[in-house]
Amino acid sequence: MSFVPGQPVTAVVQRIEIQKLCQGENLILGFSIGGGIDQDPGQNPFSEDKSDKGIYVTRITPGGPAEVAGLRIGDKIMQVNGWDMTMVTHDQARKKLTKKREDVVRLLITRKSLEEAVKHSKGSHPRQ
Amino acid sequence: MEDYDVRSAASILASVKEQEERFEQLTRALEEERRNVTLQLERANLPPNPAISQPLAWQQVVMQEQSPSNATSLAMMQEPQEVVEETVTIEEDPGTPTSHVSVVTSDDGTTRRTETKVTKMVKTVTTRTVRQVPLGPDGLPLPEGSSPLSSYTDSIDRRYMKNGGERFITPQATSTLTRAYNNSYNDSYVETPESQYIRHYGLHDGYTDLTDNYGSLSRGVNFRPPRYPYMPNSYRPENSYTLPIRKDDYGHVAQPQVPMGSSTVDLNRSQPERFQPEPYGLEDDRRSLGPEEEEPYELEPDYSTANRRTLPGTNRGRTHREPLRDVHRVRGYPDDPIEAELIDERHPYIHGMYSAPLAQPERGSMASLDRMAGRRSPSIDSIRKDPRWRDPDLPEVIAMLGHPIDPVKSNAAAYLQHLCYENDKIKKDVRQLKGIPVLVSLLDHPKSEVHRKACGALRNISYGKDNENKVAIKNCDGIPALIRLLRKTNDMEVRELITGTLWNLSSYEPLKMVIINHGLQTMTNEVIIPHSGWEHEPNEDSKPRDAEWTTVFKNTSGCLRNVSSDGAEARRRLRECAGLVDALLHALQSAVGKKDMDNKSVENCVCIMRNLSYHVHKEVPGAERFQDPSALQAPGSAGPQRKKKDDAGCFGGKKAKEEWFNQGRKNGENDKNYDTLDLPKRTEPSKGFELLYQPEVVRLYLSLLTESQNYNTLEAAAGALQNLSAGQWTWSNYIRATVRKEKGLPILVELLRSDSDKVVRAVAIALRNLSIDRRNKDLIGSYAMRDLVSNLPSGQQRPAKNLEEDTVVAILNTIHEIVTDSSENARSLIQAQAIEKLVAINRTSQSARETKAASHVLQTVWSYKELRNALTKDGWNKSHFQPTVTATPKATKNGKPGYDDTTLPLMEKNQDGYSTIDQRDKDCKYKTDDGSADLTEREPLKNDTNRKHYIRSNRPAVSLVDACDVKPQPVDSWV
Repeated sequence: MSFVPGQPVTAVVQRIEIQKLCQGENLILGFSIGGGIDQDPGQNPFSEDKSDKGIYVTRITPGGPAEVAGLRIGDKIMQVNGWDMTMVTHDQARKKLTKKREDVVRLLITRKSLEEAVKHSKGSHPRQ
Repeated sequence: MEDYDVRSAASILASVKEQEERFEQLTRALEEERRNVTLQLERANLPPNPAISQPLAWQQVVMQEQSPSNATSLAMMQEPQEVVEETVTIEEDPGTPTSHVSVVTSDDGTTRRTETKVTKMVKTVTTRTVRQVPLGPDGLPLPEGSSPLSSYTDSIDRRYMKNGGERFITPQATSTLTRAYNNSYNDSYVETPESQYIRHYGLHDGYTDLTDNYGSLSRGVNFRPPRYPYMPNSYRPENSYTLPIRKDDYGHVAQPQVPMGSSTVDLNRSQPERFQPEPYGLEDDRRSLGPEEEEPYELEPDYSTANRRTLPGTNRGRTHREPLRDVHRVRGYPDDPIEAELIDERHPYIHGMYSAPLAQPERGSMASLDRMAGRRSPSIDSIRKDPRWRDPDLPEVIAMLGHPIDPVKSNAAAYLQHLCYENDKIKKDVRQLKGIPVLVSLLDHPKSEVHRKACGALRNISYGKDNENKVAIKNCDGIPALIRLLRKTNDMEVRELITGTLWNLSSYEPLKMVIINHGLQTMTNEVIIPHSGWEHEPNEDSKPRDAEWTTVFKNTSGCLRNVSSDGAEARRRLRECAGLVDALLHALQSAVGKKDMDNKSVENCVCIMRNLSYHVHKEVPGAERFQDPSALQAPGSAGPQRKKKDDAGCFGGKKAKEEWFNQGRKNGENDKNYDTLDLPKRTEPSKGFELLYQPEVVRLYLSLLTESQNYNTLEAAAGALQNLSAGQWTWSNYIRATVRKEKGLPILVELLRSDSDKVVRAVAIALRNLSIDRRNKDLIGSYAMRDLVSNLPSGQQRPAKNLEEDTVVAILNTIHEIVTDSSENARSLIQAQAIEKLVAINRTSQSARETKAASHVLQTVWSYKELRNALTKDGWNKSHFQPTVTATPKATKNGKPGYDDTTLPLMEKNQDGYSTIDQRDKDCKYKTDDGSADLTEREPLKNDTNRKHYIRSNRPAVSLVDACDVKPQPVDSWV
């Protein structure tokens, strides 16, 4: 997940679509995010590269919409409804996720296990 | 048994002699075949130019494949071919794989049975299976639907297409096919079947452990099916017209492997075995995989496993075999009076010695042969019967261990391993027949095949509750012999076996010190350090290496984990073992770095660290230099001062404890300095045991506490912090402050919501030790109270979590420590609605210890006069805060509660903090006593239902950090 500035980022991503849940006045997704370019990346417990200022999923409400959709703690959010999330402030990310008028959020996420799975499958057919 | 001996001694002798001759014969054939195969291997194993070399070899195969009559030589040709394609590692002993073939080829008649001697048949089978495909009756690949695994269909299909479409017409095509096959084969098995076999066995927690190369168990299982779908084919009569002999051959060989459909069953069945081990991950049986998997490794392929295993539970999936066997029984026995007699003779023995499962009649001398023949077509069957063959009995097998011919030795050892699997009776018999010293002596045998098998047998024998077996191994100097072999061998499989055996042995208390004496430094140097990635003098250019979670590392760390709980001397030896602490720490740091913290190896490492952290402040050399100087004056200054303040303190008369706490309080008061705490400057990096208590480790343990999903790891990490934050020396002051500065308190408090009892307990006690630091106490009082209280039972109604008594007492003691000397914290306690619960516990709890602990808290609360108003307003009165007479008979006249050792084991006994080790030991015993029934309860640990199943409060957990902290807190927003 680490990247070299100026180089295109290659990441194995998964699409996750979350149907927001109506909770009183609010539409909630049922997870929390950490990170952002205005945050101290060293404190992000989920990033592999401690200089990664991306947005990460830090908590998930059990049984909440995010969990139902398959989001997991530690996932790095690459895009929200097509908006890039790798170079945004924490608040920008939060706002993109909590738009009042949208009740579906489409995420592009990446996680370590995905990368490993791909690496694995690549590695296994080297001679074909 | 005696009876049997008398009656059949002669026949045994005769048969032993005969077998020896046979073995000799076979060995010669084997040697020849080995040469033959080596040649082929060399020819085929030319990696730079596979395209050229392989088709050549393949051509031969293809040619032969066209002529059904040549089936056996086909098998021969295929063997080495297959071997070539597989990883070279298995080939360390080129003799073995081929031995199988040679026998098959050399005579197709009676001796055919001996092919079962072969150790590495798994490969064979797989190979054949694949090749079998195109040769189906219609020449078409099997329908996709028949393959149960969808994820593999892609590659498999491709193989089918190649096979089916081209049908070996061109050598090239075939060779591609093979390669393709082997690739995907390697993919799913990751390694050769042989090593897969080992892996399986080695795994207690294989699922998490081997994610990278093994994937999951289900993968292994999944892959197997491609073999099976064809098996019915090979039995189908309409198939047999094409290649009758080969079909038979195939079926026969495949049979001993994993019977159709039973693989899953067996794996499931064996899972508990793998996890079984113990609280400590004590032991495991090498052969935890389904018994059928093992058979190829045995002398007689079908031999006892089939029979011994015909327990009701394990018999599932095997039914398809039975008819075949029966058919044969009917046919076979009457034919041969001698054989029948032999069987009859053996019956008493079988019944007496092996008990019910062995009692099947056909289990007699002819068992293996018969059964094998039974699976063949009748025509071959009739040729094949050889009345002179039967299975050796236990004394014979043990005698064979001393046979001059090495393959006999190794096969006998392998067979013993097999017999001992999950059979305590046989283990005991082997011991009583003096088999263990012979096996131990074979460990020094120069041939790898021999010491490997001997080690495998010892590993199985050393497993289990019967400590006598372990002692027997020790008594014939088995431990130094194992260590010697560990130094000598580079064979990964052997190393796994050695360390597995040592792990098993280390579960028995009296052997722990022996293992330390003989093996500590060797295990550290040979396994722990190299696998941890730690380098003694890191090269500046070289990148720091990550730890490798190999089975060897897991076994060794498990062994060290066990021995590390053997008291002060053991801890001293481990701490002073050069490189051990450094390597463990490096391994853990690499685990944190890689976010790979749930596996057994990590668990073992953290547990060792926790155990070694116990009593560091007393036990490490030079500890006195770090004793807090203020501690020395504490008795005079702080003691009385506190008495004034806290009249109702419950530690009346317990001086040491009181001083200890006062010391903490005193530090707490001076504690403002700690925010700008200057850690002692070091001129050189600390190493060895010093690393145990450097404040840097706090971050490591906190990372583990944040990230790991493994309850044992969580408990151990919390226990390590608990051990380090106890004690009255400089370092524990630093540790307590560092936990706060590293924002560890919220992490710990969050874990109070864990579903795991022992995690909650360890965390609660750690918080108690941490609150010796005044700032910590204030913070914990303000932010942790609600979580502590929520863990308390409400009267007789236990909370959903239903925590054990020990845990409840630990929580009550922590609450007590927090409210002592802090009316603010007592106020928080009241606000957390704790009084109702405390009163209920005090009045109604069935547990005297809980009652007392609750009563101590209540008295402390009542002692704050400024709070009484609020309390009375809530409807409480003095009587609620007094100990109930029955529950605390020792309550003293002043209203001070009697001090009860059991309630507060902490300071009084150790002067400094709870021993987590002892707890582990208790656990350990409990475990071993309880056997497998317990396992099922353990297993959920692996479950991913993680510890974060709590109801989130609105209060962000991060609030529980030192307000003085300069670093911006990480923002975390709910969306």
